[in-house]
Amino acid sequence: MTGVIRQLQAERYKAKRRHSWAVVTALCLFLLLWSAFNFRNADSRELAQGYSTLFYQLPLFNTILLPLGLSVIASRLCDWEIKGNTLKLLCTLQRKGAFYDCKLLIGLGYLFVIALAETVSIAGIGILFRFTQTLEIHMLFLHFLQVFAAGTAIYLLQQTLSLLCENQLAPLGVGLAGSFIGLFSLYFPTQVSRLILWSYFCQFTPLAMDWDRASREISFYPTAFPLGLFLGFLAVIIGMYALGKFLFLRKEI
Amino acid sequence: MEIMIETKNLTKHYKNKTVVSELDMKVTKGSIYGFLGSNGAGKSTTMKMLLGLIRPAQGQIQIFGKPLQGKMRLEILKNTGSLIESPSYYGHLSGRENLEIICTLKNAPKREIDEVLKLVRMENQQHKKAGQYSLGMKQRLGLAAALLGHPRLLLLDEPTNGLDPSGIQEMRELICALPKRTGMTVLVSSHLLSEIDQMATHVGIIDQGHLIFQDSLAVLHEHSQSKLHLRTTDTAAALAELQRNHIPAEEKEGTIILRDTSDRTVTCAIRHLVYAGIGILRAEEIQMSLEDIFLKLTGKKVSL
Repeated sequence: MTGVIRQLQAERYKAKRRHSWAVVTALCLFLLLWSAFNFRNADSRELAQGYSTLFYQLPLFNTILLPLGLSVIASRLCDWEIKGNTLKLLCTLQRKGAFYDCKLLIGLGYLFVIALAETVSIAGIGILFRFTQTLEIHMLFLHFLQVFAAGTAIYLLQQTLSLLCENQLAPLGVGLAGSFIGLFSLYFPTQVSRLILWSYFCQFTPLAMDWDRASREISFYPTAFPLGLFLGFLAVIIGMYALGKFLFLRKEI
Repeated sequence: MEIMIETKNLTKHYKNKTVVSELDMKVTKGSIYGFLGSNGAGKSTTMKMLLGLIRPAQGQIQIFGKPLQGKMRLEILKNTGSLIESPSYYGHLSGRENLEIICTLKNAPKREIDEVLKLVRMENQQHKKAGQYSLGMKQRLGLAAALLGHPRLLLLDEPTNGLDPSGIQEMRELICALPKRTGMTVLVSSHLLSEIDQMATHVGIIDQGHLIFQDSLAVLHEHSQSKLHLRTTDTAAALAELQRNHIPAEEKEGTIILRDTSDRTVTCAIRHLVYAGIGILRAEEIQMSLEDIFLKLTGKKVSL
């Protein structure tokens, strides 16, 4: 077994009896039910733009739920190290940086499953409610990319906080506050909301909404994927990773 | 004699306070090195530096003759077991599962778990969750984890802290048996003088970050100067007679104390007293206790 696999294996042992998957499952189920609930009385017009509705709504649900959900996952993965005072033992057995990376890999594994489940559920809901709109595969891919990229940034922040704080209430508080800040930032002009990390679950959706006041009907139209913004965001993620790891490495045990 | 740990000029500051100052430590192979010092003297900081958990401000550390730095650190620590301050454990996992994690990280065979559990006498509690263990059991679990992978060097920081008397005795016996059974070298810190006296073959005394003594326990005991206590029929006259004959003596609570206990001085003193007609009721040689030596070296009281 190589060093990395051994370390990931150790993380798997640690997760025993902690039911981290229960958090992931609950989060996925809640998102699925919330999304599906909106189509319970859908008429033919709504079914004709069902996928667009989902691609537009799910990022909003993610903005509300994922910051808190990811803070809970990060906290669960890091809490047992803080509570059990294990860092001073682990850092004699593995590189401190490798420990940070392993935790990140495990956390991002959970995020990957959430993003994938959400993406698959879009197709599932479409089949279940017999959407008449054609499902565009590239939209599914972009949705997955958006959830995973924004989630990675949030998870990086939460993991770093969870490893640096002795008390897990503070990172959980940041997660909760992030949900509110992210949602409210969407009411501000784009230039302002783009300064808020938690708003990025909604920043890359290549769709815009038009609400007709007279007919009181909502319609969606496609927009270009903001590639420049996305690449800039990836650079921010790399910066956050470097900073988070640096802060953790600097922490004396 | 092979040197297992050697530090040169090891120094650590926290903000403006020097916690460890220019420490030159040498731990020889097969020894139990008792690292003695009162609380806050710099023991844990030194041990953390020896494990690379905190960076020294200056100085060098060599373990097994290799410098403890960069990529070499983990290579060196593969042959080292440690138990620093409070024990490390995953409360939601059983003792055995905790050891499985350490085994995986150390890449040690799983069969070693049974060996170390037997060694620390925890076979019967191995399936209980570590969070439900008493402090003594957690310490033993920590020791078992440190022993996995057959390390050549064991670093134990106050391993008897918080244990009840029988737990202390058990831990002490375990530590004493290790060099004989496994050939490993043990560095054990404590603020309890009696504990080090019963376990160690070598002693280092640290005070306010300075290593003020380092040698074998036998040499430390040699520091104990003996004194001769004399009880006479007339203390005042006896003291005057000794001083008149230039024999250094002092009086304390009705007893004459001779600090020079060489045969010549003792013979001389007794002869003068007898010739002066002073009766000698009792002559007793008093050895300096280890506590007195510590007090002499550090100027501070230490726990016993």
